[in-house]
Amino acid sequence: MREAAQVLVDAVSVGGLYALTALGIGMIFGVMRLVNFAHADLITFAGYAILMFFAQSTMLAIVAAVIAAIVLALITERTAFRPLRGANPETLLVSSFAVSFFLEKTLIMVVGGRPKGVDFLPGLARQVDVAGVRLQLLHLVTIAISLALLAGTTWILRATRLGLEMRAAAENFRMAEALGVRANRVIAAAFAISGLLAAAVACMIVAQTGLVQPRMGLQLVVIAFVGTVIGGLGSLPGAAIGGFLVGVASILLQALLPEALRPFREAFVFVAVALVLIVRPLGLFPSRSLRQRI
Amino acid sequence: MSSASEVVLRVEDLTIRYGSLTAVKDATFEVGPGEIVAIIGPNGAGKSSFLSAIAAIAPKTRGRVEICGRSTDGVPRSEIVRLGAALVPEGRQIFTTLSVIENLKLGATIRRDEEIASDLEAVFVEFPVLAERRRQMAGLLSGGEQQMLAIGRALMSRPRLIMLDEPSLGLAPMAIARVYDKLTAIRSRGVAILVAEQNAARAFAVADRVLIMSHGRFSLSGRPDEVRAHRDFDGAYFGVVMGGVSR
Amino acid sequence: MTRAMRESAARLAPLVLLVALVIAVACAATFAPIILQRRVTQALIMLVSVVGLYVFAGNSGVFSFGNVGFMAIAAYVSALLTMAPGQKSVFLPELPKLLAEQHWPGPTGALAGGATAAVIGALAGFPLMRLSGISASIATFSILVVVYVGLGNWTSVTGGQNSLMGLPNYVGLWTAAIWAVGAIAIAFAYQESRGGLLLRASREDEVAARAAGVDIVRHRWMAFTLSAFLSGVSGVLLAHFLGTVRVETYYLDLTFLIIAMLVIGGAGSLTGAVVGALTISLLTELLREAEVGFSIGGTHFAAPAGLGDSALALLMLIIILYRPKGIAGGREIGFPSRTVSVAGRNDVPPPDISSNHELE
Repeated sequence: MREAAQVLVDAVSVGGLYALTALGIGMIFGVMRLVNFAHADLITFAGYAILMFFAQSTMLAIVAAVIAAIVLALITERTAFRPLRGANPETLLVSSFAVSFFLEKTLIMVVGGRPKGVDFLPGLARQVDVAGVRLQLLHLVTIAISLALLAGTTWILRATRLGLEMRAAAENFRMAEALGVRANRVIAAAFAISGLLAAAVACMIVAQTGLVQPRMGLQLVVIAFVGTVIGGLGSLPGAAIGGFLVGVASILLQALLPEALRPFREAFVFVAVALVLIVRPLGLFPSRSLRQRI
Repeated sequence: MSSASEVVLRVEDLTIRYGSLTAVKDATFEVGPGEIVAIIGPNGAGKSSFLSAIAAIAPKTRGRVEICGRSTDGVPRSEIVRLGAALVPEGRQIFTTLSVIENLKLGATIRRDEEIASDLEAVFVEFPVLAERRRQMAGLLSGGEQQMLAIGRALMSRPRLIMLDEPSLGLAPMAIARVYDKLTAIRSRGVAILVAEQNAARAFAVADRVLIMSHGRFSLSGRPDEVRAHRDFDGAYFGVVMGGVSR
Repeated sequence: MTRAMRESAARLAPLVLLVALVIAVACAATFAPIILQRRVTQALIMLVSVVGLYVFAGNSGVFSFGNVGFMAIAAYVSALLTMAPGQKSVFLPELPKLLAEQHWPGPTGALAGGATAAVIGALAGFPLMRLSGISASIATFSILVVVYVGLGNWTSVTGGQNSLMGLPNYVGLWTAAIWAVGAIAIAFAYQESRGGLLLRASREDEVAARAAGVDIVRHRWMAFTLSAFLSGVSGVLLAHFLGTVRVETYYLDLTFLIIAMLVIGGAGSLTGAVVGALTISLLTELLREAEVGFSIGGTHFAAPAGLGDSALALLMLIIILYRPKGIAGGREIGFPSRTVSVAGRNDVPPPDISSNHELE
């Protein structure tokens, strides 16, 4: 019973990270139809920003991570993706793959490819007693931060003028522009928010693994991708839920699978994903604005 | 520089070509405040291209468009409404994933003044059916209600000119009647209205001026009674010139 | 020649010209030093891989990021079947006896590898083909990851993360060239077949194709399976060229390379796939030389390691921005007036506000 609670908390915290990642990806897809593979590099660069500053001050490292991710997001938007606005999603996806590869290889050129150890937020690496069960503090903090960011993003989208413009642009960009919504503003906002989410994820990943390496964002993003597909491309709640489910599933499978099969849990996740997609090719929460013409 | 009698929309020699296809040729006319001008023509006459070009949604090949005295050359799509022209496009294009009130608020997105809330209430007074459904998803509204919403949304930007593309399309006769009643009410507040319509009857009934568009050209124009009485009316509408020149 | 014969000849022109190109390249390399021959062999292997990707991505318009996974699967299958039992017992002591005993000749192992990849492709592709284009692309990432993690962890059968060495080295210049010719022929036959043509029609306008009764899902699935087979074969060739198999080889870097080759060459035509593979192989070769550097007097000039990769990514982005149809521009060699993809239609009706999400 205790073990079940621990596994559950672990699963929910991982689910939270994937939900945040999927949300960041979904947000940009909403306004631009771009599935941003380079989101992985936002996480990675934020991680390296932490590496640069963690020794001086935790606060500084966190701020640096946020700034690094947001600035990188805005730079990639301005230089690589703005000229591609209006291209079809396939082209955008392949371009973001190229951007990601470019960023990763350039990073390797500059700092080398080896993982580096980072002792970030060591204070969180302990256990706390909650109702008689010993839980990882880091997991609890991750869950809290994930919830806070999800709530904050939801608030921005539902309660602010900017959020309203973003939601309108996601449904019908042309009409939104005809009403005066400025494309640059809305798209830059989406990128900035996704940068913020990436930085938060980076902080927690670095705290959990104690490492930074040039591919740290990739694993998360590839799995988050699958989450957005299950959740339904074009739906933000769908993306978050899909990401969450895939994250939770991978941890639960880890716990439930017999020892010999554990290394293959990715395959099982994939099979589960495939089953969901067979039944619901448009995802669990298909976006109404993406419905086929016919 | 701006006076009450200033022309709200001036179009000169507007030509729109897509490759080898000419959608609109040398269109010239004006709309003044408090006027309803209707462009009537069959499908494919070029009405939609015409409105799209004015709203900078589609590029124009040649010609000049001025909204409230300011040229639209080089003006991006999102700035047209800031010049004073609001568009109610074909098919309404309301945001189905947003609520009614959110759709209306979006209409005011260019405004930063303090009177948005009171304008919102005014729209609800003008369109009671929207008031009832203010928190509902706009996708649940009927065709006629969506058209009201689209018009209300356009009004929220306090435009000098409202352009409507085929507002009666897909609507039941009673809904169409209500729409045109609203347009009359809006006209009386000094807003200029430009309507593109296939449904000639309604437009003729309310318009101050009509222009018959056929094959991209204005073949007849003038007051509704004059135009209707013109002996070349049928030909002008359907693009077949009977005997003489249709002017 | 009758008109019909001339038309058939015209239709076959791309096949003939591309095959001639490959043979010409192989001939030229025969007279080159061994090192260069090996580079050309590798380029031809990449050609098979890119053609494999093209068969699906080019015809359906949906990019697959999972084909390198099929390369890995086929490579390991072929390795396991063709390695000498003695070698296998050294590297894979826990290998099930049935597999450990097999000692097949190279080509049979290659076909077995390709076939296995095709079967897995058919299975994995089945749920994916009903997805919209972009969702399917994203989902194919998971194929890559699942294969990478799965093979990397299946230590008893694959050796896990370690290299499997001692594979029969039967892939030389001309073996690769022959397989390259074969791949081109298969790809060409497919794209000229009814299935291929219907799939390409759906690429241009999915709704119209559906309305015409085309079963897009089924055709995509068939293309995907064929694509898996060809990619699998390329994986086998790579493994038996290098003499080793390692899971790490068949992951993101290789995926990026073949996608870059296809995009830069032009994803809309077989010519694009071939041209892309050959030009980028040449380019990476030059960049590699730059990274090795050269010495003038006592100073050594060299590009920083990793520059080649960054440069390739940059090139791909530039092509996407300024020549999105790639070098071949969507056209097949030998067809001066026929476009495979739809280039600049002048009679397209104007964009209007009801075409929802066009940003331009």
